[in-house]
Amino acid sequence: MSVWNTRPGPPAARRTKLASSLDRLGGRREAPDRATGADGADSKLLEVSHLSTHIWTRAGVVRAVDDVSFELDYGETLGLVGESGCGKSMTALSILRLVPEPAGRIVGGEILFEGEDLLHLSAEQMRDRRGGRIGMIFQDPMTSLNPVHRIGDQIAESARIHLGLSQRAASDRAVELLDKVGIPRARDRARDYPHQFSGGMRQRVMIAIALACDPILLLADEPTTALDVTIQAQILELIVSISAEFHTAVILITHDLGIAAGMCDRINVMYAGRIVESGAVDEIFNRPRMPYTSGLMASIPGLSTARGQPLRTIEGMPPNLIDPPAACRFAARCSDAREICHAGEPELTSRGGPDHHARCWGTDTGGWLP
Amino acid sequence: MRTERRSSRVLQYVLVLLIAITLNFMLPRMMPGNPLALLAGADVGLLSPEQRAEVAARAGLDRSIVDQYTAYLGDLASGDLGFSYRQKRPIVDMILERLPWTFLLAGSALLFSAVVGVALGAFSAWRRGRPADLTLLGVMIALDSLPSFWLGMLFVSFFAVQLGFFPSGGAITAASSLEGVDLVLNIASHAVLPVLTLSLLSVPGVYLTMRYAMLSVLGEDFIRTARAKGVSERGVLFRHVARNALAPVATVLALRLGLAFGGTVVVETVFSYPGLGRLIFEAVSGRDYPVMQATFLVFTVAVLLSNLLADVLYPLIDPRARAT
Ligand SMILES: Nc1ncnc2c1ncn2[C@@H]1O[C@H](COP(=O)(O)OP(=O)(O)OP(=O)(O)O)[C@@H](O)[C@H]1O
Ligand code: SF4
Ligand SMILES: [Mg+2]
Repeated sequence: MSVWNTRPGPPAARRTKLASSLDRLGGRREAPDRATGADGADSKLLEVSHLSTHIWTRAGVVRAVDDVSFELDYGETLGLVGESGCGKSMTALSILRLVPEPAGRIVGGEILFEGEDLLHLSAEQMRDRRGGRIGMIFQDPMTSLNPVHRIGDQIAESARIHLGLSQRAASDRAVELLDKVGIPRARDRARDYPHQFSGGMRQRVMIAIALACDPILLLADEPTTALDVTIQAQILELIVSISAEFHTAVILITHDLGIAAGMCDRINVMYAGRIVESGAVDEIFNRPRMPYTSGLMASIPGLSTARGQPLRTIEGMPPNLIDPPAACRFAARCSDAREICHAGEPELTSRGGPDHHARCWGTDTGGWLP
Repeated sequence: MRTERRSSRVLQYVLVLLIAITLNFMLPRMMPGNPLALLAGADVGLLSPEQRAEVAARAGLDRSIVDQYTAYLGDLASGDLGFSYRQKRPIVDMILERLPWTFLLAGSALLFSAVVGVALGAFSAWRRGRPADLTLLGVMIALDSLPSFWLGMLFVSFFAVQLGFFPSGGAITAASSLEGVDLVLNIASHAVLPVLTLSLLSVPGVYLTMRYAMLSVLGEDFIRTARAKGVSERGVLFRHVARNALAPVATVLALRLGLAFGGTVVVETVFSYPGLGRLIFEAVSGRDYPVMQATFLVFTVAVLLSNLLADVLYPLIDPRARAT
């Protein structure tokens, strides 16, 4: 047990920890106290099994997340990668139970977080997790902050709800956090409104909000997609350093496999509501076992393409998620597809390497792909 | 840039006011027929030639149009709104005597409809899509289409005549020597029905604006952020949604203030309330043109002022509109 895993933690101890850690910004995943669960080294922070989230539309029921299972260790950084519309955001929103109602609903599965099934918590217990144990950063910092409230108050709100801090203590914490995420003159800027901040600065504020209560899990949904390229690197850097420092596990959602490669320990590749490949970063990069993953890698600038050679993009469109065919969902776009691929959907099965799994007939035992 | 925008806004108001004043000056002089009749009242035909000449001279009709215009502006600047030949009194006195009553009605009605409209709108948004919301919505839409005088008559016949709860007309019991609390109660009991009528006319507008504004704010990204912070549903609605929805509502309210003045014409007539609205009605039915003109001008200024109020209030609600 450490201060980090004790809830509700004494605010003073938490603040001291934050303050003292200001100057030991360094390598990742050091202090082991937070890297393992309270029940011992074996337990996972998050175990999602058979999660299905559907969205009811005029055209039919969209299977946005379709029987998705994955795990996350304490302090681990997991990349959730895939093209637009494959269900990345819905997966993250499902974990927080923030799927937009009433159109969307989690229809099945289990989300074990610190040993508790989030899907069985009461609304109030769930609110306690949101912003407390689990923080989330959204894609568009320009619209994700409330325009009529001061920056400092928006950060402090979280600290007041979860840490039970007084108005004053919460404001102080907000200033500390602003400083922590690299906002100069934090005390003054805390009194500003969102419109007085640039996009990159606002995303820093979003990070401060997400981290306000020392979450043990951070969900970052395309945190840099809406930002300038130069700012992107800074924000990613910040997420990496802060999550490492506080041993926060991160689920980083991105459609850019390159970003995931630079930041994550493991990667889940999603396609059409399903996980199609998962494994350690090196494993996936050195030996992708699913043509869709290879396709994504081929579209990373400067990675697999020689200088001057045009980037390859994957031809075609993902299938409609209303009544998807009982076939490999990538079959229509896969240049390696064979008859079996159209006849039935492959399971997510082991590919030998540590935790390496793929959903592909071609690389399964007796398959035709390397 | 912001100060630039602000000063151009002030310029706009001055311009609109000037146009209103000019129109007010031009209209009687451009209308077909004898402008004397328009300025001095319909009875001008009964006057002797000498009296006509005197009226014409007093109205400055014997001078050039430019002279008349500058004289008119000068009069306005010194608070002279003309003379009612009908009532044989300076118009400004008549207006000043009526204005407080209209302020009482329009102000109370605005306050009442703001509180009720905002509260019900927020309630509806909270219960969005459920029976309570849909019922309220239906009632408000129905209420919105009721004619005001009809509603007023209904109130008078029911609450005043049938039940005798409230006086059916006037602003204060005539020839009474009330003082202190009794006086206030007397005035209040006279104001209840007209204020209620006026309010019922503007509650639906405020309610619909509030409800719609809240529902659209609920779909904003920053509401998702608030939820992701663990803010309770009530906190989301009141700290995050309502605060944002108030900006459009405040604008609507300020604009309604102008409309509320218009509503007083009908309501004050129905309740024989001695306000500015009834003065307009009296002027129209007595064809007392100078009084009509002057009251129109006062109404124009009232509408302009309420717009100005909206402009001044808006930055208090929305920090993005604040100068830095
Ligand atoms: N409000 C909605 N109404 C209807 N369908 C929706 C809605 N939100 C999402 N979807 C559908 O659900 C599926 C998954 O959406 P999701 O937002 O999770 O995708 P994503 O992987 O996050 O994509 P992106 O990279 O564009 O953010 C998509 O096919 C999308 O069309
Ligand atoms: S199962 Fe077949 S179609 Fe699907 S990715 Fe593998 S090879 Fe391609
Ligand atoms: Mg998304």
